[in-house]
Amino acid sequence: MSAILSTQDIVVRFGVLQAVSQASIEVVEGRVTGLIGPNGAGKTTLFNVITGLQEPTAGKVFFDGKDITNKNPFKRARMGIARTFQKLEVFGSLSARENILVAAEQRKTWDRSGFDPNQVCDEILEKVGLSDVSEFMVGTLPTGTARLVELARALASNPKVLLLDEPSSGLNEEETEEMASLLRKLVEEGLGVLLVEHDMSFVMGTCQFIHVLDFGTIIATGTPAEVQANAQVQAAYLGTETVVEAS
Amino acid sequence: MRLKVSPRLISAIVVGLVVLFFVTQNWGGASVNAKTISSFLVVGIALGGIYAITAGGLVVTYATTGIFNFSHAAIGCFLAFCYWQLTVKQGLPTLVALVITLLVIAPAIGFLLDKVIMRRLRDAALVVQLMVTVGLMLTFMGITLTIWSPKTGRTLPQFFQDTKGVQLGDVTATWHRIITVVIALLVALGLRFLLYRTRLGISMRAVVDSRSLAGLTGAKPSIISGASWALGCMTAGLAGILIAPETGLVVENLTLIIVVASAAAAIAQLKSIPMAFIGGLIIGLSKSFSAVYLEWGTDWTYADEAIPAAILFIALLFLPMARLETGKIRITKRTERLTRPWEAALGAGVMIALVGAWANGWIPWISGTTFGERSTVWLGRGAGFMVIGLIMISLIPLIGWAGQVSFANFAIAGIGAVLFSHFGGQNGDALGIVYVMLVCAPLGLAIALPALRLKGLYLALATMAFAEIADKVIIRHPNMLDPSATGVLFKPVDIFGITISSDPSDRKAFLMFLVVTFSLLFFMLEMLRRSRWARRWIAMSDSPAASATIGVNLTTTKMMVFMLSGAMAGFAGCMFGLQRGALSVDSFPLFAGLPLVLLLAVQGVRYPVAAFMGVIGLASFPALYEVLGKPSWLTAIELIGPGIAAIAMAYRPEGAVFYSGRDLAGLLPWRKDARLEKELMVAKEREQNIGKDEINDMGLTRPFTQDKVAQLDRVLDITDLVDETKMVPTGGAS
Repeated sequence: MSAILSTQDIVVRFGVLQAVSQASIEVVEGRVTGLIGPNGAGKTTLFNVITGLQEPTAGKVFFDGKDITNKNPFKRARMGIARTFQKLEVFGSLSARENILVAAEQRKTWDRSGFDPNQVCDEILEKVGLSDVSEFMVGTLPTGTARLVELARALASNPKVLLLDEPSSGLNEEETEEMASLLRKLVEEGLGVLLVEHDMSFVMGTCQFIHVLDFGTIIATGTPAEVQANAQVQAAYLGTETVVEAS
Repeated sequence: MRLKVSPRLISAIVVGLVVLFFVTQNWGGASVNAKTISSFLVVGIALGGIYAITAGGLVVTYATTGIFNFSHAAIGCFLAFCYWQLTVKQGLPTLVALVITLLVIAPAIGFLLDKVIMRRLRDAALVVQLMVTVGLMLTFMGITLTIWSPKTGRTLPQFFQDTKGVQLGDVTATWHRIITVVIALLVALGLRFLLYRTRLGISMRAVVDSRSLAGLTGAKPSIISGASWALGCMTAGLAGILIAPETGLVVENLTLIIVVASAAAAIAQLKSIPMAFIGGLIIGLSKSFSAVYLEWGTDWTYADEAIPAAILFIALLFLPMARLETGKIRITKRTERLTRPWEAALGAGVMIALVGAWANGWIPWISGTTFGERSTVWLGRGAGFMVIGLIMISLIPLIGWAGQVSFANFAIAGIGAVLFSHFGGQNGDALGIVYVMLVCAPLGLAIALPALRLKGLYLALATMAFAEIADKVIIRHPNMLDPSATGVLFKPVDIFGITISSDPSDRKAFLMFLVVTFSLLFFMLEMLRRSRWARRWIAMSDSPAASATIGVNLTTTKMMVFMLSGAMAGFAGCMFGLQRGALSVDSFPLFAGLPLVLLLAVQGVRYPVAAFMGVIGLASFPALYEVLGKPSWLTAIELIGPGIAAIAMAYRPEGAVFYSGRDLAGLLPWRKDARLEKELMVAKEREQNIGKDEINDMGLTRPFTQDKVAQLDRVLDITDLVDETKMVPTGGAS
């Protein structure tokens, strides 16, 4: 399996602070790749670099075999990278349905397959389980539901790779389980997912492959079992094994 | 190797050449010698010092509260008048008057503004923040004009007016100017010291980044923001008192200094106090250079006054591109659904019916008033209000949907009106209207171009600068509007068999034409709101970053809406010309355009119907005057109306149309959705407020102890809802 999305030695510096240093990660289609690390490890910054919201100080981003390091965010989206945000970035004054519709209509500008945005929108609403609230303004919806709207919006642009920034925060246990099964369904359909998440049982349960980021550096890479067994990871991030089991 | 030319360098060269062109074209012939140079420097530095003080205060307020205060200079103007009252009128000693004005009245205004209004604006949308301060600006102008009638001339003496000053080479520097420069330096150093070296200042800067975090350091956010506003008012007052002897104690002149302060603030990128001072100096020196060396011909009589606006535009070209920020999203707690086509059609019909009934005298009114008789005077006024309504409705897609705050549409309409007098208006050619719209669409875009890549506030500043340039330079150019030409500029135009003109016999037809056009635009906008265009604009306004990550090209998306709005404003301008029949060069000042934006914002800038409500609001004052005579309390209400509106907006940011519309919809038996959404909204508001107000009120900003958690639970009445063990602090878990 070759990676559809990869970063190569990404460095991001904010003044004297090095947020990301030489981070190289890979995302493969058809599986969930986890990106974990303590708060402030640089996970969201790396997301921003991949989607073009943050210019890296050094390093390159490759997608589908092309160097996209200097491309505009909207061009990357049109190539097939979609994302959600850690802090909600929904279109609060549009209805849930319109949030998704706007993305589906936008897809028309580069996807000439002749799909019907309204139909795509309805399918995704159904898939994510938002049909009941589709006509409500997103600003009036609870945080957990709004998160699903964000996910649905990302799916509406028919991405090849989906970047999820803490999708389970704000969700209750049941919703988290639904989110996990949705992710499994999506990767079965061939989507590549990069997942930033704090909920360890969620990460260990859904990811097939994990990168561990600490102080901007990738300290470990491997399967969930390998990562859990890694001594450096335990010391830097997980603390002790008991924490993993407890959460 | 590819030669890399920086776009900034190209801009610098182009700007340099343009400036050089203007300088050589308008060179006044004064010889450059020691005398003129020192006179240029003495005047320029003194003027620059005053600008620097007011710009410094503006930047401090913005940097510490996140609110750009358009009323900054208007407050300074009010304080200068207060100072005049105390010294010249009451005869108090200078020092006492200064202390009362700057250390009592100014901080009092600042704290009051913070307490009543500004604190509520912290999380408000940019358009609300800006419109509230614009409303305050108009209010302070109104209050000053009411207390100190402009019919009486007033002069504020300079400090140490009777002394000779200091001889510097060939020129005399008056003590007033020397003091000005010294004070400017002291203020610069003082502000810098305050913000970076004192506990209060550091807290001030922290508050704007994270209110709650600053709270945890033990600082009281409310006192800090109050102090910021007090400081801002003090610098504004100081600048007003220093500059009034130079420019005259005239409300408009003193309030327009906001353009200067904005330009300096833009040079400072809204954050650097030293750069704000340098910006002030640059503008002061430029104006002084123009006064000493340049001779603006009759074509550019007022070009001198447009220099600050031009500098603001230039500064925007050199600002670094704004990053797409995340995490700053404001979740609006709104409940509404899309207007259905039949509802929009019904609304349009109601508007036509209302105006038609009024124009034909079918609405009963108090007899004996001219309003009731539907005189040609009133029909003309009615047409005038509808024209203003057309300008307001042109702002709906731009400000309301795309979130691009523009103060330029009145100026675009002005340019449109003037162009129409060249493009066929003088012959009654209806096709001219189309030409004007075709010119005004790219014009609207051109104004926005320098600010497209910057954050929203800069766009508002750019459009304000453009409105000033349009008034002072473009419209007044004899090739545009010949000030010596008098009489009717526009011949009656025949459209679809209707003759429209300012002619008394055509007025009813014109009014009906306007209301039908307005209703059509209203219906088109309601349909546009249901289309993918409006959806994309609103999405872009709600979250630019998220829009980009679903593939929206922000630049072209913005360009579209600017062109649409520009074309609509151009159309309104043609109607403006036809309605007036003639134009004078001073028909389109910046201060005439701002109230329109405010009026629309108060009604609800997202809703096309708000423009119609604005028309009714405009008509209501003259109508009341007709009925009630002209009682002084009504005049007072009219003058402070913008202030009331501004305060109302701080409390009801969505605008009157939204709140009344929501409540009315809830009354309709078939609008179950409206009732349900309102319930959801109230519940959600409650949920969010628990985090803020109630915790703050109890002084629980410090990390929780178990006692305080229990106390909070009792207050919130949620003890049995929450598993108590979960509320124990777990060391930074969020």
